[in-house]
Amino acid sequence: MHKHRIFIAAIITEILILMVLFLSGISRLKSAEGLLQRKTELVKSLMLTDLSVWTEARYTRHPSQADWFAPFQDYPSSIEHFPAGSLLHPPSGAYGEGVE
Amino acid sequence: MTNDTIIRAENLSLCINRGRPNEVWPVRDVSLQIKRGEVVVLKGPSGSGKTSLLSLLGCMSRPTEGRILVHGRDVAKLPERFLTEIRRKRFGFIFQQFNLIPGISVRENVMLPLYPVDISFREMRERADSLMDRLGLSGRSHFRVKGLSGGEQQRVAIARALVNDPEVIFADEPTAHLDTKLSSDLVGILEGLKKEGRTILIATHDPLLYEQGFIDRVLEMRDGSIR
Amino acid sequence: MRKHLKILEYALSSLWRRKFKSLGIIAVFSLIIFTLSSILLLTYAFKREAMEVLRGAPELIVQRISAGRHEMIPSWYGKRIQEIPGVGMVIPRYWGYYYDPSTGGNYTVMAAAGRGDRKLEMLSGKYPPAGGEVVVGKGVAESRFLSEGSRIPIKGSDGQVRNFIVAGIFTDESSLLTNDLIIMSLMDFRDVFKTGNERATDLVVQVFNPDEVENVARKIREIFPDTRPITRKEILRTYDTLFDWRSGMVLTMFGGALLAFIILAWDKAAGLSAEERHEIGILKAIGWETSDIMELRFWEGFVTSSVSFLTGLIGGYLHIFFFGASIFAPALKGWSVIFPSFRLLPYLNPYQVVVLMFLTVIPYMAATIFPSWKAAITDPDVVMRG
Repeated sequence: MHKHRIFIAAIITEILILMVLFLSGISRLKSAEGLLQRKTELVKSLMLTDLSVWTEARYTRHPSQADWFAPFQDYPSSIEHFPAGSLLHPPSGAYGEGVE
Repeated sequence: MTNDTIIRAENLSLCINRGRPNEVWPVRDVSLQIKRGEVVVLKGPSGSGKTSLLSLLGCMSRPTEGRILVHGRDVAKLPERFLTEIRRKRFGFIFQQFNLIPGISVRENVMLPLYPVDISFREMRERADSLMDRLGLSGRSHFRVKGLSGGEQQRVAIARALVNDPEVIFADEPTAHLDTKLSSDLVGILEGLKKEGRTILIATHDPLLYEQGFIDRVLEMRDGSIR
Repeated sequence: MRKHLKILEYALSSLWRRKFKSLGIIAVFSLIIFTLSSILLLTYAFKREAMEVLRGAPELIVQRISAGRHEMIPSWYGKRIQEIPGVGMVIPRYWGYYYDPSTGGNYTVMAAAGRGDRKLEMLSGKYPPAGGEVVVGKGVAESRFLSEGSRIPIKGSDGQVRNFIVAGIFTDESSLLTNDLIIMSLMDFRDVFKTGNERATDLVVQVFNPDEVENVARKIREIFPDTRPITRKEILRTYDTLFDWRSGMVLTMFGGALLAFIILAWDKAAGLSAEERHEIGILKAIGWETSDIMELRFWEGFVTSSVSFLTGLIGGYLHIFFFGASIFAPALKGWSVIFPSFRLLPYLNPYQVVVLMFLTVIPYMAATIFPSWKAAITDPDVVMRG
């Protein structure tokens, strides 16, 4: 009986959990200001332009430095848009086998 | 004694599929009055229009022609909302198929008409429990409907029909799915309700029911009309 | 108020009697919200962090383009650029890529920058590297099992293998920036890649007045039509669109999940069975109004979608910010051999959370309420027959 009390309690609990998560997130952001500052300093010192995330191709390692048609430089038939290009396997033959 | 008349029907007719080749008239030109405290049986073979007339009188469907007055008020032209309100406040229904909702508990089934009414959970539960006590269902309140016998299901349906304390009870073929023993139990229950002063309308073709002494009037129906 | 609570109560009973179906829908729905919110949170946090730290990026970089391809730039270009009014220092950058056959990884090789006197943050070891030494990122160190003092062989373009000593390793905190870096002295860089003494990879141009950057860039293009100036604004814009939720992978995954959800909602919408219709008839017959039945359906939809939304969102948040996107990592990694660990800061965009809610909760509720509308306005006497 009184399932609605259980439901309301569940919803309130979930909202509270979310609030706690968000608030802890905000405090984590606050305490990370120093870290961000140091990262920005590092970027300045090394004169970096990009995040080091995807290293498999020029245009994914340095997206801001790549030309508009950059993907074609890495292999001729690659998918030209960035994230797709990093997720899809290049077609067989793209590395030279079977290509005259 | 007009204020003793609860339901009054004037020249009621009901037409289904009007204007199409399969047009039928389940109810034709019926006029009747139901007085407070009366037990009236609509008797007739299947297809004679008993059920259709019952649903017209119970404000569940609207007549094609004629008028229905509940406490002197013509309800046939009223908006849906008022018909619902009449059903909720004044009428109780016992259906041939019981029409209980499977999966929820017996008590929830009994309380079903009270959910949209502005009374507390506690009152709702108390009303349901006292009715279930009266009908010998007290040990069953947390059972699912599926686990009940036919007689028990019928008693749940009766409890549900009574939970809103109705003036008029409509019963459509109430003995259709019961054996003789259970049918006579039902007769006992109906008799008790009559003693409480409730008005009862029964559609049946079961002699066991319409030959009972507590029945005030038997209206015989054939081809949609009362003879 | 009491009435609404009671209808909610009945809605819960009604959902509970089809436990497996209801819990199944909640589970699938939560999973969809989990996926979508993970994507949104991840990309947004990524983007915000990129935007934050790349504010330190050079404000103007000049590349040379030859036949549409990035080409080394002769150092005399720099001397000419320095003569443009408003330009401060012009600092050449030397960098390139090195494919390491033994690990299959691509590294980014840089020559230690001219401003090597500054003490570097987030580095254990020394900087700048002397001749024969390198400073490497965490990812490089891990893939080659390097520690300070170990050796790393690098094959030059002349085919000769040179052994470098690891003089410093960037800390994990900086992985998002330094993971694949190998930094060596300029002398070693020129020796390994045989770039000659007169050519740099590109030029960093200092501009005194930030408002003049565009003008300087335009002048550079006029003087050297074969160059491509890249401003910091453009870098930031690249990252802005890169991790935009409308782009590429995000859209793909988002679209897939949304499609799955629409199928779910459609199934729900089309699935008003005879049994459900009959039930609506019973409720109407015993005195429920059409609006009560709509309210019942509303609550059913609300319970399902609110529980799913909150559960999915909590799950997505924990996944991204507490477990480092561990479920997504293999997909995100793509074909990269070395990949940074995600320690993303919990940036949150309330706008996206609201959009997510509108794209999922609202259609679901609509899909539960609308089909019952027609059933709820029919006459209740259907229950009297059969």
